[in-house]
Amino acid sequence: MTESNQPEKVFKTEEMVLNMGPQHPSTHGVLRFELTTDGEVMTKAVPDIGYLHRGIEKLAETVGYVGFMPYTDRIDYVSAMTANQGYAMAVEKLAGIEVTRRAELLRCTASELNRISSHLVGVGSFGLDMGASTPFVHALRERETINDLLESLCGARLTYNYVRIGGVSHDLPTGFIDKAMVFLNHFEPIVGELNRLLSDNKIFIERLANIGVISKEDAINYGLVGPNLRGSGVKFDVRRDEPYSVYPELDFNIPVGLGKAGTLGDCFDRYYVRVEEMRESAKIVRQCLLKLKDLPEGDIMGKVPRKIKPPKGEVLVKVESSRGEMAYWIVSDGSDNPLRLHCRTGSFTSMGIIEKLSRGMMIADLVALIGSFDIVAPEVDR
Amino acid sequence: MRERHPRSVNFEIPRYILFMTYFSNIKTAVSTVFEGMTITFSHLLREPMTIQYPDRTPLPVKDTLPPRYRGFLCVRPEICTACTLCQKTCPIDCIVIEHSKDEELKQRVMTRFDIDMAKCMFCGLCTEQCSTGAIYFTNEFEASTSNIKDLVFKFIKQGEKVIPYKIPRKKKPAAAAAETQAAAKEKKE
Repeated sequence: MTESNQPEKVFKTEEMVLNMGPQHPSTHGVLRFELTTDGEVMTKAVPDIGYLHRGIEKLAETVGYVGFMPYTDRIDYVSAMTANQGYAMAVEKLAGIEVTRRAELLRCTASELNRISSHLVGVGSFGLDMGASTPFVHALRERETINDLLESLCGARLTYNYVRIGGVSHDLPTGFIDKAMVFLNHFEPIVGELNRLLSDNKIFIERLANIGVISKEDAINYGLVGPNLRGSGVKFDVRRDEPYSVYPELDFNIPVGLGKAGTLGDCFDRYYVRVEEMRESAKIVRQCLLKLKDLPEGDIMGKVPRKIKPPKGEVLVKVESSRGEMAYWIVSDGSDNPLRLHCRTGSFTSMGIIEKLSRGMMIADLVALIGSFDIVAPEVDR
Repeated sequence: MRERHPRSVNFEIPRYILFMTYFSNIKTAVSTVFEGMTITFSHLLREPMTIQYPDRTPLPVKDTLPPRYRGFLCVRPEICTACTLCQKTCPIDCIVIEHSKDEELKQRVMTRFDIDMAKCMFCGLCTEQCSTGAIYFTNEFEASTSNIKDLVFKFIKQGEKVIPYKIPRKKKPAAAAAETQAAAKEKKE
């Protein structure tokens, strides 16, 4: 009888396994987490990926080098332009195709505009996850202008398919430079407005400070890339450290996390790096447009053979996508189709660290963590 | 023993400091929320950004789209050369072209040109291959239907025979293509 009076025997407690997703608004797509919870605190959260696997890498082996370009849009639909560019650069390196300067500038302009629109979605939807629905609408309003600009440039609003192997599909439409300049003049103060609306908000800061802290060493060891890596204070950007395209001649800063809200490498730092990156991208677009204005009319396509048949060999090309370093690895056997194509993306690498960070974390904070990684579910699975 | 949650309150701090930070936190929270609210309310006085989509736009939406817009595909069979380059380029094989030698007319005729718009992913690779501009994008994008078979666009009716267009030999092929493309653009606009 004395034994049953002890609380451990009366209240039998055990860990509960809880599913979060696949259809959960905070997972940004179809992504499932298996949470082992003890009350409100998790002991483990394991991401379960594969719900959006479409076999894009396998498709590359059948559709050929030119035909695979539209599929790269679908790898990361929020920032399709950088995915396009990475693939085109990989095939160009493999086949030894030269790209004209005008095409490089056009690619750079388009992908930086796309980076702004992608970060706007990332920042806005992060606010939405945290319960601030107004900034999301404001962010999407700005994104609409970029969508219109890119629509006039390449004809589509989301899956651009603008970059071609050896160049780009279209030259600038009339009045594009002026329209883009008007937008940039309008946009730079808007970042400040977005900060006043969201980033300076005490409730928002307190919600994110000291949550999901990733140290510098962990960020490097777990292979985080892009803004997630820079949020931990590591100053690494492919655009600066392994330059490609026209980036060496452009002037821009690489924003890193400073621990403004609390600890270095918390959710707020990762969020704030994206806000700062929008400013830097706007700077890059402005420089590119000025360079394009001075450049005389010229070819937008380099000399591309009618049938692209790269020689035997393999190539690895990295670009800085909006979600970080995006690497394409292509093996060629000398035929029309690649023997193997692999792409490594930013959202996929950020999945690995979630299990480690989730120990002792509250369930509501996992939403903040996933949001701060700016995950796009199709990019996780491909 | 479980690790303490990073946000749990550290009780070693004197109580009165906690008390003061508690109220100063409330004060900053209220002031920053108020600052955000001023932006929200300033938008109340600005011009609205939203439009009432289908029927209350000043112009029909398809007329406001840029000329490069990739809407539904359209084909002019009368200038199609039946080279089937578009069919070969299509990554998802949504274009079907059938051509054969006709015994009566003693020449090659096209008997079928179908595009399955339900499959099409609007990549635009086919229009780039076309040397005469016979296949092109329109600004149409609204075609919701209850039957998916309605989205298979047939540009040559069943039983009809179309003689493929022959690019005149006198001019250089590139110049002729440019001319026909310009004509196509003019017609489109």
